[in-house]
Amino acid sequence: MAGASAALLAGLLGRLALVLYGLYQDRTMRVRYTDVDYRVFTDAARLVTEGRSPYRRATYRYTPLLAWLLTPNVFLAEAFGKLLFVAGDLAAAGVAYRALRRRGVAAGRACGCCAAAWLLNPLPMAVSSRGNAEALVALLVLATLHWVEAGSVGKAAVCYGLAVHMKIYPLSYALPIALRLRARPGRGEAALRARGDRAAKVASVARLWHLLVEMLSRDVLLFGTVAGSVLAALTVAFYHLYGWEFLEHAYLYHLTRRDIRHNFSPYFYMLYLTAESKWSFALGLAAFLPQLLLLLVVSIAFYRDLAFSCFLHTAIFVTFNKVCTSQSSQKPAEILTATNSAFCSPEELKPQAGQTNVVVDGVGAKVKLSGQLGPERS
Amino acid sequence: MAGGRRGPVRVGAALGALLCALHVQAACRDTTVTQELLKEGFHRDLLVKVELGEDAGGCAVAAQMRLPPGIYVDPYELATLQQHNLTKAMLFPDVIDVEAPEYLAEALVLLLFLEPDARCSRCFGAAVPVHARYHRPARGTRQAVVALQSPEVLLCCCHRHLSAECWEPAEVDTPCSSDTNSPCQWHTTKHRPAYEESMLRVPVGLREHSSLVCALTLLTTGLCSGLILAAACKYGHFSQ
Repeated sequence: MAGASAALLAGLLGRLALVLYGLYQDRTMRVRYTDVDYRVFTDAARLVTEGRSPYRRATYRYTPLLAWLLTPNVFLAEAFGKLLFVAGDLAAAGVAYRALRRRGVAAGRACGCCAAAWLLNPLPMAVSSRGNAEALVALLVLATLHWVEAGSVGKAAVCYGLAVHMKIYPLSYALPIALRLRARPGRGEAALRARGDRAAKVASVARLWHLLVEMLSRDVLLFGTVAGSVLAALTVAFYHLYGWEFLEHAYLYHLTRRDIRHNFSPYFYMLYLTAESKWSFALGLAAFLPQLLLLLVVSIAFYRDLAFSCFLHTAIFVTFNKVCTSQSSQKPAEILTATNSAFCSPEELKPQAGQTNVVVDGVGAKVKLSGQLGPERS
Repeated sequence: MAGGRRGPVRVGAALGALLCALHVQAACRDTTVTQELLKEGFHRDLLVKVELGEDAGGCAVAAQMRLPPGIYVDPYELATLQQHNLTKAMLFPDVIDVEAPEYLAEALVLLLFLEPDARCSRCFGAAVPVHARYHRPARGTRQAVVALQSPEVLLCCCHRHLSAECWEPAEVDTPCSSDTNSPCQWHTTKHRPAYEESMLRVPVGLREHSSLVCALTLLTTGLCSGLILAAACKYGHFSQ
């Protein structure tokens, strides 16, 4: 455990140093270190302390929970939020370590992987110290995956409901999680294998149908019910407090977003040129279909390794999305580094090294490039 | 005969009026206003410089300009600058959609308070960051032009009486000072000086490329999806 503590301490010190440097740069230089979004969070938190709706602040498109969490920014110090995100970062590293140990990776190797890929990796360090709330969502997603693998379906469902409430993109993980819960080892595995032998003789479409029908197992229903209740409870509560504004800014904006500015998506120029034409809707749909198809196929192909499947989901979601800001390109980097599924797995679980690494490197390169293109939004 | 005697009187009256007008013009030295857009790209600094014809004498100097829908000032950025005492300005309306494209946005009015400039005794200046909006794609040209009209110079005087020949009271939404009982009043120049418009060129896409861009984009994304699908089918575990 000495190695793990040392790694955690090093990660903490590095992030604190960056937060302090950020305070210095904000004060002295014209270009601020802190993310524009952090100012938005703080302004919204200030509105909440005054008893008003955080959506009075333009471009605040997050859950009210975040504004509530950051109210100490107003009472104590503006750097409180950054420290909270740093703590979230370290907690995420802890969860990733436990997940790797669960998979059978040796303690030293797991510790080394977490340290190299997450704790001492400058990308997550910069993201959290700049005041980006991604660390909290990453923590919730990792906790969900960890609890699913560990068998605590209820806890996983609560974390998942919270994660989806905070950001819409974990919604796409529902399919691999459901497939994984359906086929967890030790739960009627023999019956599944027997069914599998029979199914191998049936046509692939029928097999797909079989798959979908069998998804309605007890675990999946429990997961769906708990996650759905958490999400519904939060939505109803905030709708009661803030009205239509909450739904519009926290959910609908992200679903119907068509940003024609500062957009790294491959569809950017096409959407900009056709923004006012009659083909705009059809093209939007044509852009959505490859994304949907790929997500479906990848879920079915790789659900057994849940972490890897979620990484692929995020990478495909971000790459083929109609809107891609520099922040969204950081998501797959986080899932990749935190799960380390391709690099740190014990030998028997490792996918074919060469081909997987090609996919991973290609996406990783694109992600790193987008991250370097500048964190400013406009 | 009657016309003959009235002739010189008329000429005299006309000469008198002309001299009077010239006297008025001579008494009002022109106020010069310049505006400049610094930096490059979509995010610029608008620098306004004013040289008054006469001494300001304790009056606050401001410039009022109407910004077309093509550019805007970020109210949150302005609030931060005012907090650091770098710029003082007012925006009408004060709620602005910072993400709207040019064809969905509205013009706004900016009232910028100017600081004394060290270069000369009657010079004042200030800068404010402005941002260009995205414009519609165009046919045949790669640039859209945003024309900025020359600002109007305003003086807010509380204890000084300005000459009525040069200055007239102006209607401005912002009160001159926070004290409503004081006799502070906004004044603007009677004779607007000649100006040239400032131009901001904004790059826009070309409509002629629409079909090509759509085809290439959909082809590329289709190809990439195909490659990923092929990899997933080859290395994925579909068997039970």
